[in-house]
Amino acid sequence: MKSEQNAEPAVAAGLDAKQTHQVAAFKYELPLTTLRVDPTARFAAAGAEDLDVQLWDLDSGTRRTLKGHPSWVRSIDFSPDGNRLYTACWGGVINVWDTSSDQTTPVSSIHAHQGAARCVRVSPDGKRLATCGNDLLVKVWNLDDGELLHTFSGHPRHVYGVDFHPANNHLVSQDLMGGVNVWDLGTGKHKQSVDASVMTGYDNKFAADMGGARDLTFRADGTQWASAGITNVTNSFAGIQVPIIVLFDWETGKEIKQLKSADDNLKGIAWGVRYHPAGFVIGAIADRTGKGELWFYRPDEEKAFHTLKLKSAARGLDLLSDNQRLAVAHADGHLRLYRMTADSAAADEPDATG
Amino acid sequence: MRRNQGCHPHEHLLARRRLLASTAAGAVGLGVLGTQAQAKQLQRQEKRILQVFLQGGVSQLESWDPKPGTLHGGPFQAIPTSVPGIHISELLPNIAQRMHLLSIVRSINIKINDHEQGRQFMEKGRRVGQYPYVGAVASKYLTPADSELPGYVHVSSRGLRDTAGGAAFLGARHGQLKLEGIQPPGNLAVPEGLDPVADSNRDQLRLQFNQRFVERRSKALTEAYDASFHQATKLMGRKAMFEGEAAERDLDRYGRHDFGRYCLLARTLLENGAACVKVTHHGYDSHAENFNFHLEQLGEFDKPFCMLLDDLKARGMLESTLVVIYSEFGRTPKVNVRYGRDHWGSAWSIALGGCGIQPGAVIGKTNDTGTAVADREVDAGHLFHTYLQAVGVDSTADHDIPGRSIPIGDPSTEAIGELLA
Repeated sequence: MKSEQNAEPAVAAGLDAKQTHQVAAFKYELPLTTLRVDPTARFAAAGAEDLDVQLWDLDSGTRRTLKGHPSWVRSIDFSPDGNRLYTACWGGVINVWDTSSDQTTPVSSIHAHQGAARCVRVSPDGKRLATCGNDLLVKVWNLDDGELLHTFSGHPRHVYGVDFHPANNHLVSQDLMGGVNVWDLGTGKHKQSVDASVMTGYDNKFAADMGGARDLTFRADGTQWASAGITNVTNSFAGIQVPIIVLFDWETGKEIKQLKSADDNLKGIAWGVRYHPAGFVIGAIADRTGKGELWFYRPDEEKAFHTLKLKSAARGLDLLSDNQRLAVAHADGHLRLYRMTADSAAADEPDATG
Repeated sequence: MRRNQGCHPHEHLLARRRLLASTAAGAVGLGVLGTQAQAKQLQRQEKRILQVFLQGGVSQLESWDPKPGTLHGGPFQAIPTSVPGIHISELLPNIAQRMHLLSIVRSINIKINDHEQGRQFMEKGRRVGQYPYVGAVASKYLTPADSELPGYVHVSSRGLRDTAGGAAFLGARHGQLKLEGIQPPGNLAVPEGLDPVADSNRDQLRLQFNQRFVERRSKALTEAYDASFHQATKLMGRKAMFEGEAAERDLDRYGRHDFGRYCLLARTLLENGAACVKVTHHGYDSHAENFNFHLEQLGEFDKPFCMLLDDLKARGMLESTLVVIYSEFGRTPKVNVRYGRDHWGSAWSIALGGCGIQPGAVIGKTNDTGTAVADREVDAGHLFHTYLQAVGVDSTADHDIPGRSIPIGDPSTEAIGELLA
């Protein structure tokens, strides 16, 4: 495993993605819709098919329910210290929560978008918040005072995903039709357009478009970003399209690689993507049958070097700060933790299944 | 009035046929004569029907019966409407402002989860049997004698097709004229090289052949051919109706997409005497991504439909036009693993308004989670009677078919009386 041999010290010990296995499961009564783990790996927060946010303490397995959204939560992020939680819902509301207290109502709330707010991301320095939504806008907010710093328009269709470049004060956003815009936060202007139209499709029979970035994230060094979604739409009303993760080069804006399932027959949606510091990419997939997959891909190889079959569709993915564990939000209501080591290395995880 | 509650409608029909076969026509002739008189009177009143068919099965929870915050409520919110106390989905903001023109039936249970069977039931008001669609019935009884258009026109271009035409025993001339979107019907132009004199001579020859034919065979056959020929000739004379681009102002209001243009064509057809115009908007069969697709589809439907509603009202036509928004069924309350909703005929909704309908009403209700009808259960038979009675057709009478007596609506059901104005 060439890339793992070059990995940072924090990920070297025992890491072996091919041996990824479940180490914990946290049960909620409704299907989960998304998740995020805080950067200190204390908490995992998930949305579900209701109006609440579920916040699990990963050490104890205890769960708190946060109430205050008018609609389903579809995107979540944390502040760098993990003390603030930001959630975006279909109702266009962004709520801010204090995870350091027992408070179960929002600290503050912004009606950020008309229609759904589809994605929320905290800037690497923790000072700004980017949101996007069905009003075709991308917005950047000052987290100190809630001031709206930028409103970027130009997407012709619903904006699905957004993320900050880790170092150079730019933002990337992607819409339903695969239109990607790069925004310069210094000048407040559009910098570049990128074509991700491979990630959309028009269903001729039903006359509707389907696509969008279901997850969007930068590599830590800022040289690439990855977008998760769909391609090859044939009958999207039945969920028949190919899940895909596309990697883009930051410098050129060009597509680097398309990642797909090793199973040519698999249809569904890629709902999560993360870069591992060891150099591989992890994807989380919802198969239309209700099952799922985790993909482990080295960008320089044609096929995934490992695929883990999941018993329930994946709807969200995050990498914990130990770089050994993955958190996955599942359609069966479970938040599951998976460890990328040999099975014997994990024996002390909580299991809140019951 | 409820009729024949103790037997199956088909048994009832067979009994009537036996009666016809064994007795003089006079016994049922009063019903037929009554229907003929009624038709003439109705034709003078120029009432009509606009059907907007949301093909595939629109979700009642994302349209007429939202239940936000409940177990199966989905992510969308309910919004208030122009009628105090009535809320509909946030996906229909323009309709919400015009709710005082419409009413909702929230308690439909057709016990069918199949596209074709559901659609047939919703069109015919009967679960089985070769009966005419409501549009064909409207064509027969509402089409003005001097109408330049076929009585029943369907504007559609994609998705499931209706090959039957819907006329059944009413005859082909009352079946759907199917328009491929805004494309004019084929062969409207007189063939090149055929001058008017030759065209007239050709028609005379046809009539002579008809005369010889009818001397030995049923008159009804030649009448049907004649009617079709006559209708086609009239349509050729109205070729211009289908040609040319819509006005910019209208396109700005209705939208430049297909459905906007279909609604504009529907307005023209209704203005020109079509008794029933059906416009199909495809793409509601959302077994996956139900919420994103309803966002897209209802987003496209809401405004052009409202522009058409506004124009009918502004032209003084709404009080003589029954407007119905319907599907073949609704969608399951339970959200599946693909964020989809599946077929659901057990507890769903339609909306209707205009001619003969009490506006701003809600008929029936579902339970808290939308899984069952909780009050005033109705099915497509009730709706069929309601539509026809709203436009003045006595759906409890018999069809005006020579030699046969067939109830217009299913005698085992009746109109939703409280919905009728």
